[in-house]
Formats: sequence, structure tokens, C-alpha cells
Amino acid sequence: MATAEMIKTIAQAPDKEYYLPGHRTCAGCGPALAYRLIAKASGKNTIFVGPTGCMYVANTSYACGPWAVPWTHAQITNAGAVGSGIAEAFKMMIKKGKIKDEYPNIICMAGDGGSIDIGLQAASAMMYRGHDVLFVMYDNESYANTGIQTSPMTPYGAATMFTPPGPEIPEAKKFFPKDPMAIFCGGGHPAVKYGATASIAYPVDLMNKVRKGLAQEGPAFLHVQCPCPKGWTFPANRTVEIGRLAVETGMWFMYELEDGVKKWSILPKQLKPVEEYLQTQGRFAHLKPEHVAKLQAWVNARVQTLGLEVPLPPAR
Amino acid sequence: MSKTYKQVPFAAIVPSPTVSNEHMVTGNWRYLRPVVDKGQCTQCKTCWIFCPDACVDFSKDEGVDFNLKYCKGCGVCSSVCPVGAISRVPELDFDE
Amino acid sequence: MPIKKRGTGLTAVADAWQLADIDVTASYPIRPYTAVMAEVAKRIANGLMKCEMVHGEGEHAQFSIAHGASMAGARATTGSSGVGVAYAFETYSPIAGGRCPIQALIADRTLDPPGDFGSEHTECLNLRDNGWIYGWAENAQESLDNSLMFFRIGEDPDIMLPQIVAMDGYFVSHIAQDYEMPDQEQVDKFLPPFKPQFRLDVNNPVIMGPQIEPEMGPPLEWDRNVVMDRVKEKIVAVTEEFGKIFGRKYAPFVEEYMTDDADMVFLLQGAHAVTCRSAIRYLRQAGYKVGMCRLRWFRPFPDTALKAILPKFKVVGVVDTNTSYGAAGGSGVLLVETRASVSEVPGKPLIQGFTSGLGGETITHEEFFKMAEMMKMTLEAGRIIQDAVWVNFNDYLPAVSEVQAAEQQVAQTKE
Repeated sequence: MATAEMIKTIAQAPDKEYYLPGHRTCAGCGPALAYRLIAKASGKNTIFVGPTGCMYVANTSYACGPWAVPWTHAQITNAGAVGSGIAEAFKMMIKKGKIKDEYPNIICMAGDGGSIDIGLQAASAMMYRGHDVLFVMYDNESYANTGIQTSPMTPYGAATMFTPPGPEIPEAKKFFPKDPMAIFCGGGHPAVKYGATASIAYPVDLMNKVRKGLAQEGPAFLHVQCPCPKGWTFPANRTVEIGRLAVETGMWFMYELEDGVKKWSILPKQLKPVEEYLQTQGRFAHLKPEHVAKLQAWVNARVQTLGLEVPLPPAR
Repeated sequence: MSKTYKQVPFAAIVPSPTVSNEHMVTGNWRYLRPVVDKGQCTQCKTCWIFCPDACVDFSKDEGVDFNLKYCKGCGVCSSVCPVGAISRVPELDFDE
Repeated sequence: MPIKKRGTGLTAVADAWQLADIDVTASYPIRPYTAVMAEVAKRIANGLMKCEMVHGEGEHAQFSIAHGASMAGARATTGSSGVGVAYAFETYSPIAGGRCPIQALIADRTLDPPGDFGSEHTECLNLRDNGWIYGWAENAQESLDNSLMFFRIGEDPDIMLPQIVAMDGYFVSHIAQDYEMPDQEQVDKFLPPFKPQFRLDVNNPVIMGPQIEPEMGPPLEWDRNVVMDRVKEKIVAVTEEFGKIFGRKYAPFVEEYMTDDADMVFLLQGAHAVTCRSAIRYLRQAGYKVGMCRLRWFRPFPDTALKAILPKFKVVGVVDTNTSYGAAGGSGVLLVETRASVSEVPGKPLIQGFTSGLGGETITHEEFFKMAEMMKMTLEAGRIIQDAVWVNFNDYLPAVSEVQAAEQQVAQTKE
């Protein structure tokens, strides 16, 4: 495994941009910020695979795009498979001497749908087969590009176009989300030696996790929470603040799994009540106390599952 | 009258931009303009790292500057500034 | 020196892929195509081929893997059969529209239901509107030769389109036959290395497959439309060059058999041509002036060639080994395409549709005889007596003496 060059402070982050100004993402877009930070961390020798989703549609409108490095579209279904093909093509062409390239960083930038829902099969197979690709799941917790429909990552209680609240279904979305880290890095994909969660609210941590994932020979997985002003219904200037609040309330946990060993990136001393997070977003505006309590109980159970020792707010 | 179509390169494969994507200028979305108080600014670069549109320029000599050609006016820079040095001013207050 | 071999259509294509020095291939098991991957896997394991075989998790992934490899600049292949071909459907247009000249081998197979392993052209014809170029081989040798010719045409900088080497499942893919594996030097002379103008290259970065404005969509589709005309020109040139280098001369679009004085012809594609020729020899003895036109290409469809050829005849019996339920004419895809090809040609023949050879059945001599007899009735009537004939199901001929005579003749020969 190559050693990743770590970034210690914001000031140390590379100046050079590879995700440039000029894209049709919404003002305050969390996934766009993630893209910029990831491109910055990975640098020039990088190829992005962009399956359909916000980061395809909003970035490439009108036959153009904001990347200074090679980028290709993939279907929402097949980022993992296209990434696999690119990886093995480079390996074989380099081996045969057909090209002089250095093996590139290959990064699949898939949304939650393209990673854990319709794209799950291809992502899983890529990780099983051990291709040297970093699979990034930029998670804005919905199918946002199509106008905010529920995905497996949409939290319990969130309103989306497909899960509107009403007298018969007062809590809006009824299911609790999938756990991608458990799916990809919980031992079910032995070739994945590095996986991490990250957030756009913690940019240095995110960039270092990108570099660690890329330095890892073989597949790596990064699950990045990306608040979405449009989908979550909050003012565009609060994207980072809400990302932080998610971590402070236990709606998002920041950790790495390296060779199966868990390492906390941010260890909250105390979790704030989940209600503080819910209040910031219109998608939760309809929730009644019993629904909030149900979410708090879910957070508290997650804390236990993840083995985090932290005082918990009471689940009413 | 025959319709005019836009020509696209082979298979819609287009060159990657190097500085900015000239085909998607977004500065006209903005209705609140970020304005930095350079006296207050500590040059911590927090606004720079958090801009989703890479529209905060920074140099040691000039400090913080905004790329108004592309800045969408989201206000993230203003919200993350630890010393409150970035205000958001209505675009109509400016002549240009 | 070329090597005389005994093998199948699948080993023959494995030979072609070996000679073409493919870089990446993507596998997933489904009968009958799957034997080609088993063959390639063996050759990789034994060091005969330097190629990465990626085991896809399904056909959708296979085609996606090959697509990715092609964008990276590799010569990439894959393949499938039956429902597997259908499962990959989403990927066909992006691959062709992205102008990635991967090659797929499809050993065709009936779609479900029923669960049937047998050959049928339906699944491969289903993707006819996606911009791939393809045609059916009738035996192992032609499979190998088609693979090389298709690479050459598909990878041509003026073309850049994915190709399907199609073959009838089992009849071509699994029956052992003699063929010749060309010499590496011949292949190197014929097929230059794959060097796409654009690939994923960090030193020359490009954006592939962006969204577009509505006004850009039709021009892109126009490009994909006109390139098919260029493919036709290339087919003529490449088929001729192939003949010069390898000594095997193919008709570029339509092989004619005993058509010189024929007033009726069977029109078909693929392996059933073998039985058809043999049936024609009996029919000739029985006095039928019948011949055969075998299509070497389905996309682009050889309409120009058919416009020139078919008016020589009075009746054309199109044999569809596929289903297109509810299609115009009530038969299959070939009937529709053939009729459309010559619909505006003066002196066009009567075009009769026959559906036969479904579900992996051979089209027997007897069935060809029946069709010939029905064509003769059509000829004599000077009009289509009955459209939508499914042979053995709704034949419009009574038990006619000529057919019985022909059947007897076959029976005697078999003794």
C-alpha cells in the first residue's frame, strides 16, 4: 500500500482546483462541495466515473462540465461495473506496454441511489472483485435530481415527493435507512480494506479519507453525507452547519474501518437531542413528538450498535 | 425556414475546462453578494475550503476575493466565517 | 501459417479474439455462448492470451465493464445469449452512442418463456434499434472471419461502433466442424491496433457523455444515422480486403445460391442456410426453380443490395427464425425489413413470410419443401395467398403430390 500524504489543516489543502466554477448545481449544494474536495484531494492523475444523479445532470448540462480531469458518464445502475472495466483496461494496457500512463486514481462518484439502491449490484461486485477503484457514495438522502423522491437513505420521518405526510401516514417516510458501511465494509466484501464515513462539514478529514482510500491497493469505500438545501428544505447558506449538526446529534457518525478495525474520526462527548437537527429542515416539519421519539430511539440504538460510549439524550 | 441545430462534437465528447467552465456561467443567479471586511478577516481560509463552487479566491497578499462571474450567492462562506467578516449585500445595492 | 482446426463457432471466435489481442473481456455464464468464455479463460490461464477476464455479476455488468474498458482505450469484448442479452438492454444505446467499438458474441437462444436452450434470433434482433452493427454467421469459419472483419469495421475511425458477432446457438456455437485459424501475421496486416481518438487520459482530459441541450440531441442522432451508410461502404471495402489477405471471399451483404435462373428464393440468415442449400438441391431435381439469398448483415440492413437482387425473382419466401408478435405481415422481423427494403422498387417480387425454426428446431428438408410448394402456389396465383404462415401450424397447402414425391426422394437418399 502506498502511503497517503495527509493534510493537517485547511491552510495545507492544495490550492489547485479540479472541480471548477461553472456548474448548474443548486446554490449551497452539499454534493458539489464534496466533489470539489474529493477532486482537490485526488489531484491531476484522476479519472471520475459519474453515474446518473444530481452530480451528472447538474454538472454536465449543455454538453460541458466543470472537471479539469477526465470524466465519463455511467448509467445510474452501473458505476461499479464501468469503473471495473476502466481499472482492468489500464492494468492490462500498462502491462502489455500499449500505453505509457501511470495507473490513475479511478473514482466512482455515485449518489445514494447509484450506490446502495439501483447501483448496489454493480458496486458490490466491484468491491468483491477487488478492483483498484475508490467508490464514493455522495449521500444527499434522496433521489434529488428527479425532484426529491425517497431513497433507501432517506431518514425515517422525512417528507419526499413519494412519501408525503398525510392523515393516513403522518410520519411520511416509514422505513429506516440502510447502513452502507455495514453492507460494504462490514466483512461481506473481504477485498475492501478501507472504508470510511465522512461529511462535507469536515473537509480536511474528508480529503484525508479520499487519499487513504486511493492509497489503498484495491477497492475502498467512502460514504459522504452531503446536506441538500433543496431536498432537505433549508436555506442554502446552512449546508455546512447542518452537516455539523448531523454529527452532533448522532444523525451521522464519522469513523473509519481499516482492516476491520474501527477508528472514530469525531467522538462527540455528548449527543444533542435529535430534535435540534430536525428543527432545521422542512422535510421533518410535520413530525409529531412520537415520531421524534422514534428517531431518537433509532439514534440511541445506532450508538450502541456502533459501540460508541457517549451519554444519550432520552428517547421520550 | 429551416431549423438551426447546435453542433456537437463527435459522440458529445468535449474537452475538459482548465480554469472554469465558460459554458455555465452562474453569477447571474446571485441576489446577495458576499462582501469581505478585510480588516476583520484573519485569512483562515475557512470560506475558501467550504465554497461548493470554488468561487473564493485566496492569496496571501490580497486575502479573500470572490469570483463573482460564477458565485451563486449561496452564503455558505458568510455562515462558516468564524469571525463574521463576510456579509451578504443585496445585488441591487451595487451599480455593476 | 494458417492452422487447420476442428472446433465450434465459439472456439473459432476465441481464436479471433486471441489473434486480435483483446485486452479485456467480461464474462457471465449463460448457455450456449458461455463456452467461449470458458475457452478464453483456459487460454489466459495457460498464458496463450494476455487479457483480463472480469467476471461480471450479470449481463448488464458485462456490457458495462466492456464499455468502461473501451473508454479507457482497450480492445474489449463480451457476449451473451437469450434472456442475458435482454438483461443488458439498458447498456446498448449508451455504448453505441458513446461510439465505443466493443465486440459482443451472441450465440442466440430463445427468450423465456419457455425455458428453452434452443436457437432463435429474437433476443438479438430485439436490440436492432440501438446502433450496433451485426450479422449472423452460418458456421465456425464465418464466425471467426466475421469477428475479425467486425473489429476492423467497428474500430475504423470513420465508424466507431460496437459489433455483434451473431451465431445460431448450438447449430454454430456447439457443432464441431473444420475451420482454419489464420496466421498472426495475416491478422496483423488486416487489423491495426485499436487507437481511439479519445480515451480517458489524464494528460488529455475530456468529458464523455455529458448531458446536452435539446437542440444538440437530433444532430447526435443524425450522426449515428449517417454513420450506418458509411458502414455499408466499409463493409464492401473490408470484405474485399479480407478476401485478398485470407483467401476467403464472402459476398459483402447477400450470398446468393442457385439464383441464376430462379424464380423463387428463400431469404434467411444464419445456420439454417446449410439445410436450405441442401433442400434446394433436391427441389431443383424435382423441377422447382428455387434458390437462396442469405443475409450476411442485419444492421445495417442490406436494403440497397436487396433492391438490386430481389426484382430478379417472382416470389421471395422470407424465413423468420424469430418472433415479433403483432408485426406487420404477422411473421417476424426479417419479413418487415425485407418488404420495406423493396416496397418502392418496380417489378418487386411477391414477398411471403414464413416463421420456422423457433425454439431451436432445425428447419428440416421437409419444411423447406413445404415452403417451396407454398411459394409455387403463390407464384401461380400471382398474389399472396395467405400472410403470416407459421410452418406446420397454418400452412396453406393441402397435402400436395409434389411434396410427397420430394419427401419420398429424401427418404430414399437417407436409406
